[in-house]
Order: sequence, then structure tokens, then C-alpha cells
Amino acid sequence: MRALTTAATGMQAQQLNVEVISNNLANMNTTGFKRQRAEFQDLLYQNVQQMGMDSSDAGTIVPTGVQVGLGVQTASIYRITEQGALSNTGNPFDLAISGQGYFRVQMPDGSDGYTRAGNFSISPEGELVTTDGYTVAPGIAIPQGSREIAINAQGQVQALIDGQVDPQTLGQLELATFFNEAGLEARGDNIFLETAASGAANTGTPGSPGFGSIRQGFVETSNVNSVSEITALIQAQRAYEMNARVITASDEMMAASSNLR
Amino acid sequence: MDNAMMIGLSRQMTLRRSMDVVANNIANANTAGFKVESLLLENRAAPTAEHADGPSDIQFVNTWGMARDFRQGELAFTGREFDLSIEGEGFFAVEANGNEQYTRDGRFRLDAAGQLVAADGAPVLDADTRGPILIDAARGNVEVMDGGALVQNGEQIGRVGVFEIANRGEMSKQGNGRYTIPPAEDPADEPLAMLDPSVRQGFVEQSNVQSILELTDMMSVMRSYQSVSKFLEQAEDLNKRAIERLGRI
Repeated sequence: MRALTTAATGMQAQQLNVEVISNNLANMNTTGFKRQRAEFQDLLYQNVQQMGMDSSDAGTIVPTGVQVGLGVQTASIYRITEQGALSNTGNPFDLAISGQGYFRVQMPDGSDGYTRAGNFSISPEGELVTTDGYTVAPGIAIPQGSREIAINAQGQVQALIDGQVDPQTLGQLELATFFNEAGLEARGDNIFLETAASGAANTGTPGSPGFGSIRQGFVETSNVNSVSEITALIQAQRAYEMNARVITASDEMMAASSNLR
Repeated sequence: MDNAMMIGLSRQMTLRRSMDVVANNIANANTAGFKVESLLLENRAAPTAEHADGPSDIQFVNTWGMARDFRQGELAFTGREFDLSIEGEGFFAVEANGNEQYTRDGRFRLDAAGQLVAADGAPVLDADTRGPILIDAARGNVEVMDGGALVQNGEQIGRVGVFEIANRGEMSKQGNGRYTIPPAEDPADEPLAMLDPSVRQGFVEQSNVQSILELTDMMSVMRSYQSVSKFLEQAEDLNKRAIERLGRI
């Protein structure tokens, strides 16, 4: 009976759905986290009776045919990259991106990673680094004795240095955008990697057309909406239960047959 | 006596198939753009031994076709830029495996080249050019107007095609929420883009499966199957008793 395996695909799909929802809820307070959504599609169809075939010698044709579907499959787990809320922290090294773009960070293996989590700090060498100690490209060195570090919306880093009157420009932050942000590969630790699906990174100055601007003293919170996650969770759970009912019903039908002598 | 068994068997075979269809509906209760299906049956007269016997009074049950319910699914708000849904008639078209396929699932996105594509990367077709739609995301947000026009910075960059299919009965499901139609004999009969479709941005059309109906269908299929089983058992019983009695004489 196909109904058994069909219902099993339904249960597997809903299980995955719950897994995605629970990951979203677990990351509700993760800086720069983007929620994900499991997308489902119907699985292939078996043609029991092909439409368009002759149904009589007189040339009449089968108008609709009989196609029996075999269940459901996961089409993709899509990352929804809409802006998260900006929350004020007052920390000068907390940078949030308002609009499109990612900070580029230098991974330990030399490759590039991209992140929206702008809760940065200063390394012992005076460099701007992520919470894992990875350098934020293109590398901003902050000399000792710097005060009043200011990063403006265009990503220009300025500071007052002891013994000097005018603020000194220490560097310029840059942002990277992608054609298809949802195609980035999540590496964990809030870091994304470029893939063939995302397209090549396009770097530019914050605040220029197509790029977001930088807000110092803010962090971008996750864009998870707990109410919609919980309603999705309820839907997934009920759908799971219904598929389980189908399995029980198919089982009873098979039992009825096997009890025939 | 054998006829009774055969008729019972034909009914059980169609009931099993109905159960498969119900299971597929329930499995797709959360699949965007899915349209609920049901099995249509016909009775087929058993051939009579001689023409003079007149019409057969024995009828078998057979599958005849599928009925698809194309009723509108609920529109769920997502707010995402490229989640589109159609209110009313029509289908989005994508280019897959070299031919046009039609779908009601409007969860689109941009690929690495800036084309508007479906989840598997199949490009969505424009209403006017019937080709892929190119969008430069860096130039700002895209607004989708009621008629399907894509507007970026106040400038129309394309129009999402919503195609009208005259005979939905001949649509064949491909999986992935897609339908194909057999090529028309006359090119003029190919599906045409609707002039004024109703496209909603930021909404996803949910599956139109109504779980309570499917569950009651499932129960009635199961109970009918059980009662046919019971009937087969009795027919067999009768058979056995007849043989026993005859043996005694």
C-alpha cells in the first residue's frame, strides 16, 4: 500500500519542519541570526491511467487520467534575510548594519567569511575582531591611547589620540552584498560562506547605493518572530498527528485483508 | 459465487487507491500551492456469456479519473519580497527541462545571476517576453503590483506571467508542485498570459487541503474496506458450506 509510505514522507517532512522551527526559537536571542523556513513540495506522481489515451475504438480519450501522488518532499530550507531589530547597547564596538550587506571577516584558514553579527571587540594587537577573534576586513588597527572611537554611517573609523587635537582616521569598513543572500552557506558561529548559488561578493562602502549603513552602539537582533514560530509549530504538530492517523488507518485496512481466510 | 468475490475485490482495489490519494493529500497539508485531489470511480459491467442474456446485472468498480479541486488556498502573510500568490484564476509558469511548467507555488527567490527563480532554480517566466526575469537587487526593493508588474525605483522591470489554462483537466502533475499540459495542436491554443491577474506580494498560497474532510474520507475508506472484507468472508463461508452440503448427499 502506497498510503503507508506516503504518510511516512508526510511525517518526515513535519519532523524536519519542527527541527527548523526549534532552531529558529533556540536562536531567538542570537545577534544577527536570520530565521529559516522549510519549504515543501509534492513528490512525484505515478500514472495509473495516462490522460489522453484512447478509451474506446470510437476515439474518445481519457480526459483526466489517474495519477496517484507519492507524498511530500523538502524543496529547500530557505533563509529569510529581512532586517532584524536594532537594539541599543552603547558599546562603541557594537556595529549594526541597517540595510543590505555583510561584514567581511578573515577566517583562520585565510578564506573570507561574512557576518551580520557586529558585536566586535579589540584584539590584544589593537585590531577590530569578531567574538571569535577573526579580523574584520580590511583590518582596522586601533593604536594605544585612542579615545572616543567613532564609526560613522559610512563606515569611517575615527578616534582621538592622546597628544593630538584633531581626530585621526583609522580606517574604512566595507560591506559585501550578494545577488542571492539566501544562497550563502551557514558555517555556524554567525558566519556565512560564499557559494556558487549566492554569487560573488560585491564589496562597497556602507551607505552607498545598494549597501546598508552602519550604526555604532547597536546590535542587530535576530529576526525570529516567536508568535509566528509557535503557530507554525502547532500546524506542524497537527499535520504530524494526521499523518500518523493515516498510518493507523492503512494498517487496519491491511489487517482486515490479512484476517480473511 | 465467484462473481461476488471478484466484485468485492474490485472494490477493495479502488479503496486502497483512494487511501493512497487521501494519504497524499494529508502528507501535503502544509505544501504551498497544493491542490486537493480525489479519485473518481466508474462501474464497469461484467461481460455476459451470450448476447441474448441482455445487459449484465453484475458491475465491477474501476478507477475512472482524478478530480482536482482548484479552489483558492488561504493566503498566508509572510511579508517576504518574492513570496507571490495568485488570487483567483491562473498559474505561474517556470521553465524546467526545456518546457513550460505551471505552478501555483509562488515562493520565488533570486539566483546568483539575479534571475527570479523557483526553489529548484527554474526561472520564472515573464508575461510579455516569456523569458526569464532579471532583477538587480542592489538597485532597491522590488514592488509587485496587482497585475503582476515588477516595479523597482518607480520603473517597471518586468511582469510576472500568470497564465490561463483553458482545460485544467488535461494538466498532468510532475511533482514539485508543477503541472504540465500536452502540447497544443494549434499554437494559438497555447496558454496565454492573463492581462489583468491578481498577484499578491508577501503572501503564500497555502495548500487547500481541509484536514477534517480528509480525515472523514480516510475513516469512511477504512470502514468500507473492512465491511467489504467482512462480506468476502461471508461469501467464502457460503461457498464452503455449499461444498460441505453437496458432499453429504
